[in-house]
Amino acid sequence: MQKIEIEMRVNGQVHHLRITPELTLLKLLRDELGLTSVKEGCGRGECGACTVVLDGKAVPSCLVLSVQARGKSVVTVEGLTPHNTTSTPENPYSHIASEQGEESLYCSNEEHKSEISPTRLHPLQEAFIANGAVQCGYCTPGMIMSAKALLDENPHPDRAAIKEAISGNLCRCTGYYQIVTAIENAAKCLEKDSPRAILGSESCTGEGGEK
Amino acid sequence: MTSRIVGCSVPRVDGVAKVKGEAKYPGDWYLPHMLYAKVLWSQYPHARLVEIDTSRAENALGVVRVLTHRDVPNNEFGIAEFDQHVLAEDVVRWVGEPVALVVAESESAAQTACELIDVLYEPLPVIDDPIVAMDDSTLLIHPERGSNTVGRNRVERGDVFKALRTAEVVIEGQYRTPHVEHAFLQPEAGLAYIDNEGRVTVIVGAQWPHDDVRQIAHALGLPRDKVREIVPAVGGAFGGREDISLQILVALASWKTGRPVKLVWSREESIRGHGKRHPFRMQYRWGATRGRIVVADISIVADAGPYTSTTRMVLDAATAMAAGPYKIPNVRIDAVAVYTNNPVGMAMRGFGAPQVAVASEQIVDKLAIAQGIDPVQFRLDNLIDDGSTLPTGSPGPRGVGIKEALLKAAVAGGWKRQGQHLLKPARRKLEDGRYWGIGIACCFKNVGYRAIHADQSTATVELSLDKAGNITNVHIAIGASEVGMGVHTVLTQLAAETLGIAVSKVHLHPIDTGKVPDAGSCSASRQTYVSGNAVVRACREALKQARRSVSGTIGKEREKNRRTTKVELTYRVDTGDITSMSEAEMHFAYRSYGYCAQVAEVAVDSSTGQVEVLRIVSAQDVGRAINPAMIEGQVGGSVQMGLGFALMEELIVSQGVVNTNNLTEYIMPTALDMPELTTIIVETPDLFGPYGAKGMGEMPTLPTAPAIMSAIRDAIGVEVYELPAKAEYVWRHVRRKGMV
Repeated sequence: MQKIEIEMRVNGQVHHLRITPELTLLKLLRDELGLTSVKEGCGRGECGACTVVLDGKAVPSCLVLSVQARGKSVVTVEGLTPHNTTSTPENPYSHIASEQGEESLYCSNEEHKSEISPTRLHPLQEAFIANGAVQCGYCTPGMIMSAKALLDENPHPDRAAIKEAISGNLCRCTGYYQIVTAIENAAKCLEKDSPRAILGSESCTGEGGEK
Repeated sequence: MTSRIVGCSVPRVDGVAKVKGEAKYPGDWYLPHMLYAKVLWSQYPHARLVEIDTSRAENALGVVRVLTHRDVPNNEFGIAEFDQHVLAEDVVRWVGEPVALVVAESESAAQTACELIDVLYEPLPVIDDPIVAMDDSTLLIHPERGSNTVGRNRVERGDVFKALRTAEVVIEGQYRTPHVEHAFLQPEAGLAYIDNEGRVTVIVGAQWPHDDVRQIAHALGLPRDKVREIVPAVGGAFGGREDISLQILVALASWKTGRPVKLVWSREESIRGHGKRHPFRMQYRWGATRGRIVVADISIVADAGPYTSTTRMVLDAATAMAAGPYKIPNVRIDAVAVYTNNPVGMAMRGFGAPQVAVASEQIVDKLAIAQGIDPVQFRLDNLIDDGSTLPTGSPGPRGVGIKEALLKAAVAGGWKRQGQHLLKPARRKLEDGRYWGIGIACCFKNVGYRAIHADQSTATVELSLDKAGNITNVHIAIGASEVGMGVHTVLTQLAAETLGIAVSKVHLHPIDTGKVPDAGSCSASRQTYVSGNAVVRACREALKQARRSVSGTIGKEREKNRRTTKVELTYRVDTGDITSMSEAEMHFAYRSYGYCAQVAEVAVDSSTGQVEVLRIVSAQDVGRAINPAMIEGQVGGSVQMGLGFALMEELIVSQGVVNTNNLTEYIMPTALDMPELTTIIVETPDLFGPYGAKGMGEMPTLPTAPAIMSAIRDAIGVEVYELPAKAEYVWRHVRRKGMV
């Protein structure tokens, strides 16, 4: 099949690619660019697990052809923080190894807080952890990207607006409650112009300070 | 003893990786020289497989192998008995049966080649009604068995016939629940390869990796130590990953080609290829006299699909929970599971209990109403206490917190106390014209396997100590899969608490059957309880040994900077005094239970039949809350499933064919469908659980549907007998009542 040359910006980096025309953005991101945070849950735009931000809008990447994204900017969850791709099948939990030694920043029990260290996470990511919004984690990247698109456009959403924004993201584990709270708290954190989580009253956890 | 870590909402140990998108699920690896496989599914729900011709497919572009039953050394598998074929042979019995596997250089080449396989079927009559199939000896799913019955449980206590005749009030009802789809977000995916030690290694989402290895090894005719399963991050399970799905297929493909093979199911294949919650048809007839339930007469027919899976255990759990957590002297239960050509009935959160709760809690409500007693008060007067005999005759457990859970849910849900009495909030009409109603339900569910069944988990704990004897590091190996429920975080907390160290010093080994011991299945809400105890005890033993060696060798060890102590310990759930029970009493006895009560508020639109759930209050006795935030998360997810079960989830199966095989047509609750939720944690310690904890993963999904059904009756007087209570159903019954 004839290949097409396209160019797009993915997580801030420009890529020149030769692809076949039927290649979806989902497959391009996962199979060609190794961005496996973008998940396939249904292949029909129903579940939202493949949500990415395309020129500022949250879209189901399984329903976007790569050619439709030419000249545009795509952001996935890997674009929110520096990325560690060291896990292998023999050591699928290298991410656990890399997080060892870090005390929880989010537990209200004082004994569990260690010295303050600037976090490498986006406030949405921190808030998802701090508010118990992650269980199996499969819907999480898509949820975070839907939330990112929402907060970029509407920095002060109420719970109804948040629910509307994630209404296309299915979750079978959480019942959505803690996800909505996490997004709400992340919005407050971003509003205070503290892109990095700070402990105490300005943390993104919703604990101490405003609830 | 005050806890520093148990009871604290410590953030998940796998949380950072998941929010960063770094957590790898089985479909996320791309190995060099990797091949792709695709399944050719059975075209018929019931047919003789006359001939398979793979020649055209084998010659197709990019195809490396096409596998059929002829390529499988022992073409059989199954979690309880080996009654399923890895690849179809002689007869296909449901549409989820794999007939052939194409292995090719690309996914599209494999897909194209599937369509080039020529299969000659001889369609057979489809058996899709379990009640008809039950008595039919002419049309048998498995002719060699002589009947379509998978199993039958009969309980008979007291004098049911007499009790029904003499009871003051008798209420009867026939209830029906559908096939329910797990709908975990991650469709099945697996990657198999031959590792450096020549072991067939499968990366897959699984609830019991060690048992998978048993089945893979048997099918491939390999010794168990030549097969290995690795469980990375898993996108949900809910019972749907307890049975083998694609493990043997992908292992076979890699073993035959010598190359890594990846197999990923689409959502349609996922819905098609794994079993469902058993549909139940239930007939309940109960009687009460002066506020006491005196008799329960229950008949259950479960649709098991064509293969056994865990159906007998589901039937046992359904039997044990069928009459609810009540003291009832006269009980008759007849529960039968029947083979059909519908999707295989398999484990799904609740394991038989959600279905029976739908029936039992409606009958309890109606008995209360018929006697003019408040539904909460009636329940309080009949619920079990510590040591009560259960309806099946089994001895009840201790540490029963159901009354507290019920009361707390009721009060938080709006029930008022008036002196000695409880007053239910009155139904009313809302400003927008809808009818408001409130309902309540309470349920119990076993934690762990039946008492006569060995229930155990093995943990290896390795402590590293510095010169002074302080623990610097703890490494734990235990085969409990993290499928999203949070077991790895719970085990980490339990270890840290027991050893008196920070959570960050505890490391759980990746789930790899080559390196971690068997923890049993992630099912029956048992991992916190059984694996939790294994970890706690192993840690205590390791501490003891470490202290002993410090005092004994302190002189010799001074030069060394580091020392390790390693302990492997198997915790077996104590069967206690069950040997003194009769066979009947023993059969349905479990070691521990969890309890949950929920209140549901609904608004019903009488002109459309649409039901909106406004609020749910959920109170669960968890024994001891190890991680409150994670418990709240589990309750949220349970309520989502319970609400879907009640109002919208309907897998439409006609003549054995699944019509709703994607998420457009199989509707489950979104963020917009969820009601306001209040979660109340009750802690009545379990005598045997780690720090008093019980299991809790299934319990909160049981009362949701019955509470909603109860609220619908309260709002507009419509009895729901069949789930889901779709708008059409409610509307039709509203019209009949002339309420439009």
